[in-house]
Amino acid sequence: MSDFVLELRDFTVYRGAGKKVLDIDELTVRRQELVAVVGPNGTGKSTLLQAVNLLLPHQGQMRLFGQDNTATTGTLLRRRSAMVFQQTLLLQGTVFHNLALPLRFRGIAADDIQPRVLRALQDFRCDHLAGRPARSLSGGEAQRVSIARALVTDPELLLLDEPFAALDATLRGELIEEIRQLAVARGLTVLLVSHDFADVLHFADRAVAIFGGSIVQDAKPEVLLRRPANEQVARLAGMDNILPCGIEPDGPGRQVKLANGLRFPCPTDLQQPVTACCLPGDALLVWGQDRPEHDGSRVVFEGRVQRVQPGVGTSRVVVTAGDLTLIARVPRKAITDGIVDQARVTLAFDPAEAHFI
Amino acid sequence: MDVIVQGIIQAAHLLLGGDQEVLQVTLLTLQVSGTATAISVVFGVPFGLWLALTDFRGKQAAGSLVNFGMGLPPVVVGLVVSLFLWRYGPLGGLGLMYTPVAMIIAQAIIATPIVAGLSFAAILSVNPNLRWQLLSLGATHWQAGWLLIREARLGLMAAVIAGFGRVISEVGASMMVGGNIKGQTRVLTTSTVMEVGKGNYDMAMAISFILLVAAFGVVLLFTYLQHGGKGGRL
Repeated sequence: MSDFVLELRDFTVYRGAGKKVLDIDELTVRRQELVAVVGPNGTGKSTLLQAVNLLLPHQGQMRLFGQDNTATTGTLLRRRSAMVFQQTLLLQGTVFHNLALPLRFRGIAADDIQPRVLRALQDFRCDHLAGRPARSLSGGEAQRVSIARALVTDPELLLLDEPFAALDATLRGELIEEIRQLAVARGLTVLLVSHDFADVLHFADRAVAIFGGSIVQDAKPEVLLRRPANEQVARLAGMDNILPCGIEPDGPGRQVKLANGLRFPCPTDLQQPVTACCLPGDALLVWGQDRPEHDGSRVVFEGRVQRVQPGVGTSRVVVTAGDLTLIARVPRKAITDGIVDQARVTLAFDPAEAHFI
Repeated sequence: MDVIVQGIIQAAHLLLGGDQEVLQVTLLTLQVSGTATAISVVFGVPFGLWLALTDFRGKQAAGSLVNFGMGLPPVVVGLVVSLFLWRYGPLGGLGLMYTPVAMIIAQAIIATPIVAGLSFAAILSVNPNLRWQLLSLGATHWQAGWLLIREARLGLMAAVIAGFGRVISEVGASMMVGGNIKGQTRVLTTSTVMEVGKGNYDMAMAISFILLVAAFGVVLLFTYLQHGGKGGRL
């Protein structure tokens, strides 16, 4: 049995009038990996899932479960995976009827259908819905049922195409956690498409960022969060501070010059030209009146608080420093009397926390 | 007004009295239009399904052609079918002119674009991702196609009703290829035209009323089937 569930090489998908919508040099997914595919709308994420599910024609090499896709293996390979769409796409009839369908497609004996359907419904705590007309369910119930329907056949690969997009934050969090637990327990491989990075952080061990149909970064979600490959990924991951900057010679080394004139030694050996400095909000320290001694290891500068937005655990402090507006995420206990609207504050960050794009 | 009332009374008389000729004409009408509709379903529904689910160059042109076909004038269809079936026409050797078969052919040609066009619209009204969802759940292309037809059942039955309604009410093509021969090709519409020609307006009204009752009965049956046999929800 192949270690890889999916192997793509020189993989392209065209749609409409010969428009290339996906162009992937290489992408491999191992068994039991939980992979998130992220990117803005219309960038090819859903197309990737549809092509992997053999719903769209493609060019280049694609091996699913170690096998090539051919005319004879198409349906058989597709039956080893299941896809859940953003819309619930439940058919007329009862919830039971909807869950029984994938089993009937496979010619499963009628006696085996009922226990398998009920088990799948129980897994997602919706066994009480079995007799309800599928089209009468609420959004959350319908999405639970559609995920249960995808899992009723015990697929090896689960493809989730933004199934949580229409759900509120609480339901979304619950469902993501339930799917994650189930996937880990059953050793499922999952490809989750999302444009919400919070979903990715909750769910995936690995994140693949797609822009304009091509992969721009493939790494752990934390890496995309703190070391984005470009400005688009930084914005997608919700990077707090993307500060325009330039690199200048400074004696034998080089220094970074931010747009507000702040300079500090370049912490890394940059090979490519850079245009922005990414600084996560939690890397930016803020002090009110009681400013600590400056030990030289940090870049220290002055700013004025524009707004303090309370949050759970941390507060979001918006500060201006010259022409720059920065966002700091300050632990609740560190918010002192000196950190209030319009107060002058001292800011500091470790240059090693800065990432250049 | 008197003509209408007299016509209804006479229609009731003919129906309840079991007039053999009227009964035979009514049965032939249902037989010809029913068979033509069935043929149009066999060709029109799969074509509409294919048109809705397949992307190809010229799809829009094909759709326009079907829409044009939906308004095909029966007289033109009757003329063309006559030219083909006429003794010296390409299919003259089959001897079908002035037979119910010729009428079925003409009516099927009229109904097929209607059934195809409305089937196309019915399938398009189903969520376009549903087919992919079914394939993704492991359906073969045939299984997915069949379930799509079931999902679009309301629209598809409306297509069948529209096709049947069009052919049972047309007169031009039936007159041209059938000839309104008594006991052979006389149907309710051609019979009505003939009675009007003879000045028997009350008889024409009676036959028209029978035509309405027959058409309503069949449409009622289709509507019953459209709603999955749930009579209470008509």
